[in-house]
Amino acid sequence: MKRLTTAGVHLFLILASVVSLFPFVWMLIGMTNSSSDILKGRFSIGSKLMDNVHKLMEMTNLGAASWNSAVIAIIGTFGTLLLSSMAGYGFEIYQSKGKSRLFGLLMLSMMMPFAAVMIPLFRMFSDMGLLNTPTAVVMPTITTAFMIFFFLQNTKSFPRELLQAGRVDGLTEWQLFTRIYMPTMKPTYAAAAIITFMNYWNSFLWPLIALQTQEKKTLPLVVSSLASSYNPDYGIIMVAIVITTLPSILIFFLLQKQFVQGMLGSVK
Amino acid sequence: MAKKKWLSVFVLVTMAASLLAGCGSSGSESKTAEGKEAGNSSKKKVVAWAWDPSFNGAALKIAKELYQKEHPDFDLEVVDMAKADLEQKLNTNLASGVKEGLPDILLVNDPNIQKYVTAYPNTFADFTDKVDFTKFSPYKVEALKIDNKIYGVPFDIGVTGMFYRSDYLEQAGYTAKDLENITWDQYIEIGKKVKEKTGKYMTTINPNDEALTSILLQSAGSWYITPDNKGNFVNNPAMTETLRVYKAIADSGIAKPVTGWSEFVGSFNAGDVATVVSGVWQVSSIMDAKDQSGKWRVAPIPRLNVSKAVNASNEGGSSWFVFNDSANKDLAMDFLAKTIGGSSEFYERFLKENGGVGSYIPAFSSEAYGQKSDFFGGQSIYRDFTKWSTEVPGITLGMYTQEAKDALKNELPNILQGADLTKSLANIQTLFEQQVH
Repeated sequence: MKRLTTAGVHLFLILASVVSLFPFVWMLIGMTNSSSDILKGRFSIGSKLMDNVHKLMEMTNLGAASWNSAVIAIIGTFGTLLLSSMAGYGFEIYQSKGKSRLFGLLMLSMMMPFAAVMIPLFRMFSDMGLLNTPTAVVMPTITTAFMIFFFLQNTKSFPRELLQAGRVDGLTEWQLFTRIYMPTMKPTYAAAAIITFMNYWNSFLWPLIALQTQEKKTLPLVVSSLASSYNPDYGIIMVAIVITTLPSILIFFLLQKQFVQGMLGSVK
Repeated sequence: MAKKKWLSVFVLVTMAASLLAGCGSSGSESKTAEGKEAGNSSKKKVVAWAWDPSFNGAALKIAKELYQKEHPDFDLEVVDMAKADLEQKLNTNLASGVKEGLPDILLVNDPNIQKYVTAYPNTFADFTDKVDFTKFSPYKVEALKIDNKIYGVPFDIGVTGMFYRSDYLEQAGYTAKDLENITWDQYIEIGKKVKEKTGKYMTTINPNDEALTSILLQSAGSWYITPDNKGNFVNNPAMTETLRVYKAIADSGIAKPVTGWSEFVGSFNAGDVATVVSGVWQVSSIMDAKDQSGKWRVAPIPRLNVSKAVNASNEGGSSWFVFNDSANKDLAMDFLAKTIGGSSEFYERFLKENGGVGSYIPAFSSEAYGQKSDFFGGQSIYRDFTKWSTEVPGITLGMYTQEAKDALKNELPNILQGADLTKSLANIQTLFEQQVH
């Protein structure tokens, strides 16, 4: 009986992994085929990989786009981690009047769809003269209610005795944060880093609006412009998508262990 | 106490820093702008937004080369974007009233013309006296006309044809003659025979795509909405006939159901269907299947069984706009008027290099338009397409084409399941009026 259930569970898991892996396999096979072969549904490795890569290089400035994406994602991730963890730490560790109300207000902001604030935001950045800069892309989402909440939740399990011990040893509040809190919470930071990096790396709508010239475009914008010509070349698009997906996958595998730990809670 | 003081100092410093940073960056911004202008005194640069680098973007590059012969100091930058992205950016800019980042020249999809010009008055330049519009196919100019002013330069057209596999139709016993000047009911009969003899579908059908209904409506000089932007679903014989034909095609079993664009293209690239009714721009996708060379031909599309209906229609097409507030407005307008608005050479090169067909009549008699295509069995397909393009009925696309199409799509499944057509059309009309008014 038990063996039967294990077999059932395994069967289900195998099916689930086939379903979730299929798009990746399709993408990898697609980048070696010509567009019309892809449309015909050919599911075997072709010989067009170098052709597709060459054409993609000719059509787009991938180097610049990757650089732009990287700058935005890296600055954005570090900024978000620092600011959100400070906010989450502050909300949980320090006591003050009206703290819970303020936090409620912050949570409300999660319910505001981005499309609703986009036009005012666009005007603001235009007035500040920041349009078409990485700053404009990073700023609006550098602190999100979600990330603050994430750090707050994880801080709940942070042992406060460590802070008291630090205070006795004469550390300042800032030192407590950087020397005790940050190293202890590594797994939380790792999980937050993956989520934030992927958000910035894949973000589309706001970069589309805020970035205005060809040379400032990020990778998702380049992929999007490839996909919408009248007669799109799917082989080229597949190569571009593989290049765009790789960094996210790499970062995930690098931080995978910490990510799982972080999602389970930093301190056990 | 000391802690509080420290905090206020910190807040002050941050504020000052952010202020300075703001000044600094806006300072450098204006500097680069000045630098650009200084650089531009020798070369005048115009910026254009377009959405397909191998089609409309490529067309601008041809136009640039032609214009530079007379104006060596002219320069053009084409910013390529996806069409939906371009529209998103444009709407954000126009709705927020921010001019920064807008180009001088803009590519507009024909169904959006009326919407943009009406929703954002005085935003786009009036071309009425800048271009000789009598040299363009009338239906194309009609789409650009609002209150007797013409707001752009006509560009590519989507005159339709019925692409067909001559080998499949031959097997079913039909010759090219049998496909000329037919009605949709005859088309369905031919389709049944083809299915029986070859086992191939006659066409594809996709209930989420309104391309076929649009083609049918325009071929009868009708549209989803009236010129004064009312729903045109009830008491419209062309609409009733269009949906009857649509249902008949679906019911007859000659159409392969597809769910999206790639499946649609895949079905004819894989040789699953005998005909494709589509705009002339479909030529490039059809020619992607190199193994099918010599097997394809093009005939006029079938005709609806209503008065005024013809064997010609249009699917898609776009035009060029210039912004009224653009710093280079006169230059941008002159550039478009001299090239895309009045150069046969431009249209010949656009066809030869990118397979693009325009509506500029003087170019139709050129050698480029007369070329025979081996892929299409030696047929002069562009001569045929341009001949049909002068027969396409002119219609006003109005402001709410998309809303009307959505209302139709909502009811289409019921129609296909055999609901009463008159009732369904009344439902669509009500839904549309609710959405728009």
